[in-house]
Amino acid sequence: MMAVATIERDAELMLRVREGDTQSFAVLLEKYRGPVIHFLQRMILNQAVAEELAQEVFLRVYRSRANYEPTAKFTTWLYRIASHLALNHIRDRRHERNQESLDEEVSEGMGRQVASLGPTIEQTLVRESKFVEIRQAIQNLPAKQRAAVLMHKYEEMEYSHIATALECSESAVKSLLFRAYEGLRAKLAHMGGLEEEIR
Amino acid sequence: MNPKTMSCPLQSGNADVLLSYCAHMLDAERTELMEQHVAVCAECFALAEQQKRVWSALDDWAPEPISEGFDATLFARIAAEERGSAWERWMAPVRRWLSGDIGWEPVLSMGVACFTLVVGIYLQNPGRPDLTLPTVKIEAQELEQADRALEDMEMLRQLEPTAEAKEDNRL
Repeated sequence: MMAVATIERDAELMLRVREGDTQSFAVLLEKYRGPVIHFLQRMILNQAVAEELAQEVFLRVYRSRANYEPTAKFTTWLYRIASHLALNHIRDRRHERNQESLDEEVSEGMGRQVASLGPTIEQTLVRESKFVEIRQAIQNLPAKQRAAVLMHKYEEMEYSHIATALECSESAVKSLLFRAYEGLRAKLAHMGGLEEEIR
Repeated sequence: MNPKTMSCPLQSGNADVLLSYCAHMLDAERTELMEQHVAVCAECFALAEQQKRVWSALDDWAPEPISEGFDATLFARIAAEERGSAWERWMAPVRRWLSGDIGWEPVLSMGVACFTLVVGIYLQNPGRPDLTLPTVKIEAQELEQADRALEDMEMLRQLEPTAEAKEDNRL
């Protein structure tokens, strides 16, 4: 019931945007700015590029306002745009990405996260090592599997909605997720939660 | 779905149910059924345990903070697009044609339409159009009339008898 209300509310806001109400667009931006940027951060593993792509996502939403029809859930439409942009970016940058070292990428944003979490050097190092492992495991997944896992895990999207966002069948999503989690289990199942590891 | 007769999700190719169970995405009834199955199926139990650990590890992957100027940049871009949108609308077909998205057909159609229009206008007003402006025409007529008047006055002056001739006549 709650989900239905949310769908209606988002669609209603978008219909108001279509009528020229920019305040409703600001409300949608406020609501989905974080989830979209975080999804793209985890997809691209680069903060600056993720924000650039997120700008493009919201620009496309705004540009499409005139043709918007509430036929699908708003978030599904939103993640369809986001995953499309992310997958295109990964495809275009694949050859460059292969040349970059994971260590360089990790050093971009991890310092801030780690510094605020662990009070001792040992705990900080353990956390840093775990974050590197998680990022590496996610990065090693094929792009579409990665997108499916991120939508499933962090956005709690249903299989059917992930399928719409990734423009594939529901059974294809189930297969993508099973293979993705199989890979992640092989790499991450030994660690469990960070709090547990530190203790 | 009776747990006693429930087939193993891994054996029956329904591993997604097990993944949904680990992600706490099943309803209460199906969760209970899965719990009963996992308790008796070693394979599903092992996978579920591993999956929960993966899930827990991913929970700890905190996102990075978002730049403060994100919204301002976005709204500035939208405003810039709005300003340019009218011109964009007019130029969009030309740009699409130049980029090769549109073929020659619409351009040819447009050319034929323009040609037809010009021919139509010409046939409706045959002959060379009078391009001189009315004011210019009027001014030219006035000058001509003035010239003629001056010429006439000159001629009258010539015809007018001189003072000496008038004196002779008087005498």
